[in-house]
Amino acid sequence: MNLFKLSFLILGLSVVLSFAGVAEAKLNVVTTIPDLAVVVSEIGGDNVSVQSISKGTQDPHFIEAKPSYMVKVSHSDLVVSLGLELEIGWLPPILQGARNPKVMPGTKGYLELGPYIDPIEVPKEKVTRAEGDVHPFGNPHFNLDPIRMGVVAVKIAERLGELDPEHAASYADQAQKLKLRLEEKAKSWQARINKTGMKEIITYHKTLNYFFDRFGIENPINLESKPGIPPTAQHILEVIKVAKEQKIKLIMVENFFDTSFAERITREVPGLRVVIIPVEVGGDPSIKTLDDLYEKIVSVIEGE
Amino acid sequence: MSNIFRLLIFIITFIFLIGSNAIAGLNANTKYANPDMSLNFLTLYQNSNRNSQTSNGFSLQEAELQFFSDVDPYFRANALLSISQASPTSEFGVDPEEIFVETTDIPNVTFKIGKFKAALDRKNLMHTHALPFIDASLIDQQLVGDSLNEVGLSATLLFPASWFSELTIQALQGQNEILFNSPNRNVPVMLVHVRNLWDLSDDLTLDWGVTGSGGNNSYGGSTQLYASDLTFKWRSQIGGKYKSLIWSSEYLYANLQGDPAGEKVGGLSSWIQYQFAERWWIQGRFDYVGLPQQGNNPIQRKESALIGFFPSEFSGFRLQYDHLDDGQPVAENKISLQMNITIGAHPAHSY
Repeated sequence: MNLFKLSFLILGLSVVLSFAGVAEAKLNVVTTIPDLAVVVSEIGGDNVSVQSISKGTQDPHFIEAKPSYMVKVSHSDLVVSLGLELEIGWLPPILQGARNPKVMPGTKGYLELGPYIDPIEVPKEKVTRAEGDVHPFGNPHFNLDPIRMGVVAVKIAERLGELDPEHAASYADQAQKLKLRLEEKAKSWQARINKTGMKEIITYHKTLNYFFDRFGIENPINLESKPGIPPTAQHILEVIKVAKEQKIKLIMVENFFDTSFAERITREVPGLRVVIIPVEVGGDPSIKTLDDLYEKIVSVIEGE
Repeated sequence: MSNIFRLLIFIITFIFLIGSNAIAGLNANTKYANPDMSLNFLTLYQNSNRNSQTSNGFSLQEAELQFFSDVDPYFRANALLSISQASPTSEFGVDPEEIFVETTDIPNVTFKIGKFKAALDRKNLMHTHALPFIDASLIDQQLVGDSLNEVGLSATLLFPASWFSELTIQALQGQNEILFNSPNRNVPVMLVHVRNLWDLSDDLTLDWGVTGSGGNNSYGGSTQLYASDLTFKWRSQIGGKYKSLIWSSEYLYANLQGDPAGEKVGGLSSWIQYQFAERWWIQGRFDYVGLPQQGNNPIQRKESALIGFFPSEFSGFRLQYDHLDDGQPVAENKISLQMNITIGAHPAHSY
């Protein structure tokens, strides 16, 4: 039974060492998506080290809860998520596997942003899975709204300040700068979108609806037949009908979805453009900031 | 009163209590106290050329009723009740497959108390509906049975390393009929498991586990059980919704002192899964039992092929073909079709 004795010894020593801990100068922050990581990085500067679990090329609904993500979270002081159940399929096992009580829900080290924004598309009736992957607390993709991301930045700064009071003023100042910058740019983006006359855009999923809601664009139909359910032949015919009747000019396919359905539709609808669109930072190698992301969407609407 | 009748009364009472709690409060905030719950059930059709030995036709393979919730700031509880038939002719029974609490407030270590699946290998930790094939591998069936799940204590430590490295030590009341089940209840079964997972790239992981376990068996001797599994998983971070690949292999070896059928037995299983569309998988598996051969028992080989279609995360269909050559005059050929349904708040599966 020497193997068992050795194992107990290792376990005991490791527990003692883990309690001892090593204080680090920087706050370690883990975010669920890269858009939150760039906000934390801009606010925190050199006082914060931040990494995102998912990448901008991945569908944020379906991330595998890799144990290596648990290692990231086990070393962290703060976990920041969008919430509204976007990450419900993968964040809970990562948090459990990380065995880091500092960042469990309900602690200062866990910040879920959904409750601090005003969500859109909150179901008014009872939610059932017969309607697909409906989010009962509203559309969770508010990272596509520059104004709400300003609100988010301020909230993140408050939490960073609580965890690191010495730099709280700096965090608040940086968040305000980010918020004001996005508000200013939103005016310019609105003017440019107005100039295009674009009023309706089809997307694969309701990912861009916060952006559309902010800038006065309708999303009359999606390529997927129901949230999370791939298109059926019957539904594609319905999309073709809507596109023709409403003279829609643009389909945006989020960068992690199959484009073949949209391409099939364009063969039936003259003048309809299909563009693969990044919907998170890193969704395209050129998208390194939130500003880049929103700028890209605006320029696609303009026809670039 | 049959077990199934008792279970129905239990479920109805439980749902009524939860429902009345929510209704009485008339406030969503009261629901926080209710555990999340889910029901998964597997309906199976099988046809084998060995009618006398297998359960041909339709059957309810298993239903799993699961409840889980935080208990307080220190513990989380999980209960999984498995409903299944012991054989095609017997009535349904309820088995508390897992009922345990685990700690949530201790850094780096999780302590677990109750009845739980032992950390033997990746597959032993999975519930039936999440297993890669409709049935368990030959060596699992021969050595472990349905699953090695025992009452006991568990401590799992996440090492402070740059990669995922985990050590699990478990003390179990060995009641597994094949491996342990000693009449002497004073000596627990001890199990040590080490798991490492490396990200070879953003798209590819290597997962390696090794286990040693020892305890007394029902033959009056001791059992030593060793297991190791190796899994490669590939999913591209670009276009990963539509394509992925898993290759997993395991080896189990046991020395069952006093077993009249032969003391030493080992076997391996290796399978591959390729996802070729958003909701479609094909899989192949090779099983071999006889490394080493147990006494005079014949060497067993089995080849399996499977195609899976999952309309959503909550429903799935799997069609499996097996060819078993186990030393009998006629090899077995079997077709199985399984429907897998989940309702309720099912927890996410582990990686």
